[in-house]
Amino acid sequence: MRNIKKAVSITLAATLLCSCGSSPVVKEQIEQTQITLSWWGNDKRNEYTLEAVELFEEQHPEIKVKCNYSEWSGYEARSRVQMNSDTEADVMQINVGWLSEYSADGKGYYDLDSLSEYVDLSCFPDKILDYGRMNGVLNAIPIAMNAETIYYNMDILNKYGISPPKTWDEVTAAAEILSKDNIYILAGASKSMWLYTLTYAEQVIGKPFLNEDETLAYTPEEVQVMIDFYCDMVKKKVFPQVEYYQKIDIDNNTYAGTIGWVSDAINYFSTVMDKGQNVIAGDYTAFSPEDAGKGWYAKPATLYAISKNTVHPVESAMLLDFMLNSEDWALLQGVEKGIPISSKAKKALDEAGQLSGLQYEASLVMDNNTKIAHMSPVYENTTLIDAFINKCTEVIFDKTSNTDAAKDLYEQFKEVTG
Amino acid sequence: MSKNKPSLKNIRRLQLYMILGYALIVITAVAAVSGLTAKKTDEVLKNKVISMSSSLNVQMKLNLDSYLSRMETIGTLAFGVPEFYTYDATDPNNDEFDALSKEKIITDKLYSLCIMENFVDYGVVYRNNRTVGKISNGTASLFGDKIFDELHSMIKRQRTNDGWAAGYNSDFRRIYYVKSIHENALLVISFYATELQQVFDNPETLSDMAIRLTDSSYNIIYSSEKDEVGTVLPENIAERVRDHSSSTVMDDAYLVSVNACGDDWFVICSIPTEIILGEKKQMQYYIIMVGVMAAALALLISTELSFRLVSPVKAFVSSLDTKASTDQLTGILNKKAFEEMASQRLETSLSIERHALILLDLDNFKGVNDNLGHAYGDKVLSKTGSILRGTFSTEDFLGRVGGDEFAVLLNGVPENDNEFLEFVKGKCRELCEQFASNYTGDNGDYKISASIGVSLCPDHGRDFDVLYKASDSALYISKKKGKDTYTIYSPETQEVNAQ
Repeated sequence: MRNIKKAVSITLAATLLCSCGSSPVVKEQIEQTQITLSWWGNDKRNEYTLEAVELFEEQHPEIKVKCNYSEWSGYEARSRVQMNSDTEADVMQINVGWLSEYSADGKGYYDLDSLSEYVDLSCFPDKILDYGRMNGVLNAIPIAMNAETIYYNMDILNKYGISPPKTWDEVTAAAEILSKDNIYILAGASKSMWLYTLTYAEQVIGKPFLNEDETLAYTPEEVQVMIDFYCDMVKKKVFPQVEYYQKIDIDNNTYAGTIGWVSDAINYFSTVMDKGQNVIAGDYTAFSPEDAGKGWYAKPATLYAISKNTVHPVESAMLLDFMLNSEDWALLQGVEKGIPISSKAKKALDEAGQLSGLQYEASLVMDNNTKIAHMSPVYENTTLIDAFINKCTEVIFDKTSNTDAAKDLYEQFKEVTG
Repeated sequence: MSKNKPSLKNIRRLQLYMILGYALIVITAVAAVSGLTAKKTDEVLKNKVISMSSSLNVQMKLNLDSYLSRMETIGTLAFGVPEFYTYDATDPNNDEFDALSKEKIITDKLYSLCIMENFVDYGVVYRNNRTVGKISNGTASLFGDKIFDELHSMIKRQRTNDGWAAGYNSDFRRIYYVKSIHENALLVISFYATELQQVFDNPETLSDMAIRLTDSSYNIIYSSEKDEVGTVLPENIAERVRDHSSSTVMDDAYLVSVNACGDDWFVICSIPTEIILGEKKQMQYYIIMVGVMAAALALLISTELSFRLVSPVKAFVSSLDTKASTDQLTGILNKKAFEEMASQRLETSLSIERHALILLDLDNFKGVNDNLGHAYGDKVLSKTGSILRGTFSTEDFLGRVGGDEFAVLLNGVPENDNEFLEFVKGKCRELCEQFASNYTGDNGDYKISASIGVSLCPDHGRDFDVLYKASDSALYISKKKGKDTYTIYSPETQEVNAQ
């Protein structure tokens, strides 16, 4: 009986406690560290990058990655605004030229050597990492190597019985045939045509555009060689003015050849290749085939860097390592950005049989050429490029003479290069 | 001796009724309270969930409206440059150099504006399909040489000459905003549909909720389930929102909320009811379990209390019963109790059972009282009770039916009648021997014997009175034959079967 009384008492007491107590309800949320990632690219790059970021977030639920991305056009201006206003992303895809622009002293981006515990740098040769060093500080890591490449649509060339041109004369000769049907043997965006013009000039003049100290090596007369070449090629309808270059004209078969980066192959030609047309990576134009590669330059395709202002360096480094070295990311990315430099990523692609296709062929043309040189970031300076295109346009429309344009342009070049 | 007492039976019955009644009341009350609690909880929970879901959906709609409005505002900023709305690339009288210069001014302006968001396109398309500014390769490929006409067809709002569209040629990757600049030029803005993730960012606590943006035909423009983009809204959701522009529906299968926004688009949130109300079942389970436990506890307490309440009464009644049915001197049944119990036993006797009604009368008992006094006589009677209890089992009924007369209803289940008869005779002999050994008449003692008459059931009848009469007849014969003997009743001859 005593036990029954005790049991009843305990039960009643417990019931009273349960019913009278009003403890607060607490729902803990998962605390995530948010980092930002920015890149430029086309649909394909955006899609696989978003998918890969999701994979990273699944593997690291404590990290949330906010993505900023768009196509290249306008991205550079956007990046400049962000870098100068300290609003850049934690992890960034950057162009090699931006290193000198934002981090000449090596302090413009995070020192990645200090994060080597989280980023496996052993997958990269030292000479490749040197591309990302500024003032001895590792600011960025190259993803792949890149070079301007000439792609030819063989369906168009075969239709006119033309072999892929290897020399300047062959380029001009092909243009004479194709222009009758309003087809250009070559076309490209402003930077590509600027670099193509530089190649011609360097081969004609016999010296690089820049001295070793990256000051302007050319005289006004030598600058005029560049203007003459560009305007002459436009006049002969070898390639269209860059203002009229449109990617859709690749799809429309208005351009038999297109100058673009190794990393642009899929972006530019997926539509025509989807139609069954054959596109190849041609030889670098020269005065003779054995000189192919002279005046042509290679550079890191793009690089990844971490913001100097990041408050989450470890998480940013974890994402960076995932983007550079993980099998997951490598298989999603494939060779879209070029052949990856990371030994781990390259091994994963090799084992998956993904080292193939037009982009891979273009990278082989680059890799197998012994004359191609390392590109200075100054070659991609947009001020130089815009000034050159504007002067050429003025000449084409008879707003100025070739000589005056060359003098003006020389002064502008000097102002930029010092 | 205490078995089959009606008063105790009644008390037990009453106690059972008390317990059952109390249990019924408690269980009914608990069931009613539990049911009402569960029902009310269900209603409150559903109302709260519907209210919160509706609020969430409205918030999503407002987020989207705000996001799209911001895009439109950024787009209209381009009108700050005169060349943007005065230049016409289709004009055949354009000076080509002048045209390129103006296009450069427009491009620079658009590039400076497009840094504000993750735009895919931010440019101008002219009727001759000339494009200026940021027109992506993807958009150029998607529309091809129909780019102006197809984009122009997306203008739906006459007031502002603009419109939103997605899903052109079943491509839902980008969302387009198109605004007429003049009759030959369109401003085109686009962004990836995945950008809407920031608009529809879902609270972690509602991670199971599917959030979708559809066009007026319920084609999915955005979905938290990425694989669904470009497909038609699942019918099980569509049937709940069709013909509704702002409502929330909740049934056994789904909680669905819809709000119209923008250009006939719908923000639709849905979640399976079982997920959002999963805790309701658990809560109901707890309520029922608490109810069952409360009922069991109440039953336990009521049982305990009833026992504690009834036990003294039962003890008292039992005592009264015993007193009323027991002969105080001998400790065996009195005449009335014996007759009642014997009669009832015989009435309920089974066919395989056999009974013997044994009447015993003390011989010369008057002389005992006269010579040795009543106190001694009482001792003899008391001793007789002891002899009977020692001779017969607890299954047999023993009673004092007169001053010196005793009766026994012997109950048995023998294999055959002869066996039972021999058993009865043995008991009679044992009785006689007991008296002979206890009252020898030696040493000044008084010799006391007993005369016995026996009738058998069913041989001599099944009714108590009939059997009693037969036993009495047999007893008379024993007396007549000189006492200290027993006689088995014989209805045919009335002769004595004496030992």
